[in-house]
Amino acid sequence: MVSISIGKRGNNIRHGARGWLLTSPYLIFTAIFFLIPLVWSIFLVFQDWDLISPTPVFVGLANIKEALSSPRVLAAFVNSYKYMVLFIPLVMVASVCLALIVHHLPRFKALFAVGFFLPYLASGVVVSLIVRGVLSYNSGFDTFLRTALHINPDWLGNGTLAILVITMMMVWKFAGYYALIFMAGLQGIPGDFYEAAAIDGAGPWTRFWRITVPMLYPAFYTTLILAVGLMFSIFTEPFVLTNGGPQLATQTWQLEIYYQAFNQFRAGYGATVALLNAIATLISILVIRKIVETWGHHYGWD
Amino acid sequence: MARIQSGSGVAIAVRAQPEAARRAASSLWRRRLTRTAILYVIAIPVLAIMVLPYFYLFVQSLAPWDQIDKTLIPSSLTFRSYQWVWTGGGFLAEPWLNAFFNSVLVSVVDSVSVVAIGAIVGYALSILRFRGQRMVYNFILFQMFYPSIILLVPTFLIIRVAGLYNTYWAMILPKLVDLWAIFMYTSFFRSVSTEIIEAARLDGASELTIIFRIMIPISRSITTIIFLFVFMARWTELLWDLIVVKDPATQTLNVLLATLFNSYASYPGPQYAAAAMLTLPVLILFFAFSRNFVKGVQLVLR
Repeated sequence: MVSISIGKRGNNIRHGARGWLLTSPYLIFTAIFFLIPLVWSIFLVFQDWDLISPTPVFVGLANIKEALSSPRVLAAFVNSYKYMVLFIPLVMVASVCLALIVHHLPRFKALFAVGFFLPYLASGVVVSLIVRGVLSYNSGFDTFLRTALHINPDWLGNGTLAILVITMMMVWKFAGYYALIFMAGLQGIPGDFYEAAAIDGAGPWTRFWRITVPMLYPAFYTTLILAVGLMFSIFTEPFVLTNGGPQLATQTWQLEIYYQAFNQFRAGYGATVALLNAIATLISILVIRKIVETWGHHYGWD
Repeated sequence: MARIQSGSGVAIAVRAQPEAARRAASSLWRRRLTRTAILYVIAIPVLAIMVLPYFYLFVQSLAPWDQIDKTLIPSSLTFRSYQWVWTGGGFLAEPWLNAFFNSVLVSVVDSVSVVAIGAIVGYALSILRFRGQRMVYNFILFQMFYPSIILLVPTFLIIRVAGLYNTYWAMILPKLVDLWAIFMYTSFFRSVSTEIIEAARLDGASELTIIFRIMIPISRSITTIIFLFVFMARWTELLWDLIVVKDPATQTLNVLLATLFNSYASYPGPQYAAAAMLTLPVLILFFAFSRNFVKGVQLVLR
């Protein structure tokens, strides 16, 4: 009987060389662009290097001390929560609504799902260009506000308004993307739940809050983590529109890292701010995770 | 009327049934129709609002310069903005067209590479069996959740030290491999039955042939999604491309638009044209592959 290798999956050695060979692109890439930077980043935190002098200078904890007491870093830290408090409720409401709309449409579901998703494809620079144009002093929109409603908002010159503008840009961008996640979640809710609830006399409002929302727990979990992570990596919109201004009102972590490392040529200090950014992100995500998991647990998710 | 055994009372009830049923059915049908109409009355304007910025962008790029940003619908259309961009920025001599091709080069190379390497490594980690395979997979998961912002400055330093600053390599190399793509392919390939692969091996096919002749064609919708997402992300990337390339001739269109953002503040026409050039390719790609994209989204979110 001819010995054929079909089904012999336990034979590890046979695939050994091939396996490592085929994995090698990833391994080489990881070694150069992950492992080396990972180790180097630790050194950079304790160094001062302006990229010009041949050797970096060892400065101990000076970078960390400076970052922790810097008003610019503090502004980035506080702003990430300001953005969060505005962005998350708005985007959650928007994306759930979009998902519900698509879910209940009898026809052309895919058309609307893709249509709602289109904003996600836009470059942040392009959206900023449009926003600058629409909110400019002589634009149709702004002129209308002044003549008809007698209000003259300084959109990008007022700290609060600027954050609001940037937040709305991001809500527009991400609502359709998160809506896709909620759409999948909605599809997973058995229709029997609603029928049973209707028979028991539950109205649509009750059915929404007692069935839909709790059953969307996995979708909320995913989108909340994504949204929180996003808040700590805002860069393009404030960079192009306000450069962190006015007076650090729209400052973000990545703006500060960019400024310190690539504008002021302080590689060590920039790496330190990046480290703090990562720590703040991690802790915030863990806290949000805990909150969401507690909420889910209350409804039986584990 | 057929004679019914249980007695005349039931016969009367049966005769009355069709009438009542018809009345109930028609009112249910009317309610459903109203509900559908309301849904579309909401959905269509919402879709219009989501897509409005794109519409504004394209209209403004064709608007006469004295009407840009002043009205939503200009009185006439002109190609002046596009002419400015296509002839290299008038007297300012900016490499807009050049930048467009830079974007194409960088995005296409990286997207193709991500798909190819993703499929190869994904195949190795799912279909093949070799010692240490689990370890590699787990490491990839760890790598995916590692905060990449920490690696930003060191990776830049690596590029600089390698003498690749201000080159195409600087933009292309660090994005040749995408962990998410590897992860997606690994999960997807695990669900592929191995009979075809074994048969191909019996016929003497090499692993690479199997990957590119069998595995990738099977995974058409996943490949479409991965390619589209990676292309879009690469195409609209700002931070990385901004910091590694300073020469406008080598910069991508997105970066050029960002660096020249404030120079054109009084005459944004050319910027809208450039922004339209930046936006169209991604939109066209998505519409072209929308069917595969939708299928892939359903696959991914299941």
